[in-house]
Amino acid sequence: MNIDTQPLAVRNSRPKPNTQQTSVLDLAGGMLWPLLSGAIGLGLWEGMVRAFRVPVFMVPAPSQIVLTIMEHWQYLLTQLAITTFAAGLGLILAVTFGLLAGAAIAGSRLVDRMLTPWLVIAHAVPKVVIAPLFLVWFGFGLQSEVFFVVAFTFFPVIVNTVSGLKSADPEQLVMVRAMGATPAQTLRKIQFPSALPSICAGVKLAVTLAPVGAVIGEFVASNKGLGHLLIRAVGDMDTPLAFAAVTVFSIFGVLLWRAAEWVESRVLPWHPSQRASFLLRNAST
Amino acid sequence: MLSADQQSTDSERPEAAALPIVLEGVEKFYGGMQAIAPVSLTLAGGEAVSIVGPSGCGKSTLMRLIAGLDQPSGGEIRIGETVVAAPVADMGIVFQRDLLLDWRNVLDNVLLPAEIKGLQGMTPRALELLRELDVADFAKSYPWQLSGGMRQRVAIARALLAHPGLIFLDEPFSALDALTRDQMNVLLQQVQASRNATTLLITHSISEAIFCADRVIVMSGRPGMILDDIRVPFERPRRLAIRETAEFTAIGRRIREHFERAGDLVG
Repeated sequence: MNIDTQPLAVRNSRPKPNTQQTSVLDLAGGMLWPLLSGAIGLGLWEGMVRAFRVPVFMVPAPSQIVLTIMEHWQYLLTQLAITTFAAGLGLILAVTFGLLAGAAIAGSRLVDRMLTPWLVIAHAVPKVVIAPLFLVWFGFGLQSEVFFVVAFTFFPVIVNTVSGLKSADPEQLVMVRAMGATPAQTLRKIQFPSALPSICAGVKLAVTLAPVGAVIGEFVASNKGLGHLLIRAVGDMDTPLAFAAVTVFSIFGVLLWRAAEWVESRVLPWHPSQRASFLLRNAST
Repeated sequence: MLSADQQSTDSERPEAAALPIVLEGVEKFYGGMQAIAPVSLTLAGGEAVSIVGPSGCGKSTLMRLIAGLDQPSGGEIRIGETVVAAPVADMGIVFQRDLLLDWRNVLDNVLLPAEIKGLQGMTPRALELLRELDVADFAKSYPWQLSGGMRQRVAIARALLAHPGLIFLDEPFSALDALTRDQMNVLLQQVQASRNATTLLITHSISEAIFCADRVIVMSGRPGMILDDIRVPFERPRRLAIRETAEFTAIGRRIREHFERAGDLVG
């Protein structure tokens, strides 16, 4: 009777003395190589700029960029905060719209047929090219920027919501129908949780696209934010400041991606993408 | 700990009366293809019946029709006095796949029917079922942490939660290894013995069909029709050893001969 009553988790969770140590070493090893290659790259860059006396307005040396960041860090962070605010606002709107539109498309063939071709066309339009039009439609400032972020980010949310909602296990749908579930219960108990991994993937893409959208919006329609700072710095031939802005922006992008991954791991602890690490950790006994 | 509203429970409601199932000339067409030839069959209330037949003989389709998940092309199905036209309310189904929801722990999976039917305070009942099925220790585990046999036990607990008067099992153990399958057969007939429910087991295993039922219906290949209707004489509770008896083997042979004649040999 008890042969199969021991779950994998229990069977495989015998303590292994070296696990902790190995994972610390792995982590160090994982960080070591990219750090090393990065240091070599930066060293070469620094060396070339100095050896060939490249003018600072062309390409500043990494040390110059670090100095600029240290000198202007408050200003840079303020501009980053402004950009982040616009990106966040646009993202919230895009995710809300994307989820609702996605649910409508997944729920109704009519809506699907009427809306999807236009969404695809809207997505195919090169948004950078029409960015100036946003200035015409929504005026100079935050509004234009936010709508530009929405235009930049809604598509992955919609596409992933639709495919997620449609990917619910048909047999699980039959099962809850047999239990007497209403369509609303089916959506809440089966379809939405089944769609969550897809939705998370879409939102993760949108999260990383949003600041890019905000910066492009600021190029065109703002006198604040990192985008505006970048345009101005280039106009002033202040290349070290432009590089500093790009550096800050890139670091922020990486942190944002990490944050999105962390949130995903909290929302989907049960998903294969999250539990793979658990199984690998425990499978070697 | 139980909350106040969980104290007033639906969990102690009496076992529903086991209802008879009557099929009269039930047939099913898919397009022009006849999946089930007209079938007439009566299952007495509380009876445990298994339907055995080759793959694709329409036995699962027949179960779906009885459960009200699909509509017959002709004929009538009655459960008690009611003609089946929609999913039957008073049933628990165990499918071939356990269909546990990955994002819910074991206990919450078992409680799913209670949530859908709006039954309050079913947690003690769910835990009691998990104990009966020997998986109570894993109430807080997630499905992916369990083995196949344990997952199917949880699926059985889920089907039994709301005290169904009808229990339908659609090849519930066919994905399990032979040893686990034997255990589940013993478990299933224990579960049947302690409940007053009409049970219908769909299987393509001849020995499982005999071991778990009071009566075995033998179905032919497409279009599905009833070839034989055999009473199983063994007392309950049954031990696996009865499968070695001459009587058991004779029933098995009788079923196998039907398939041999029809050219549909099954395992």
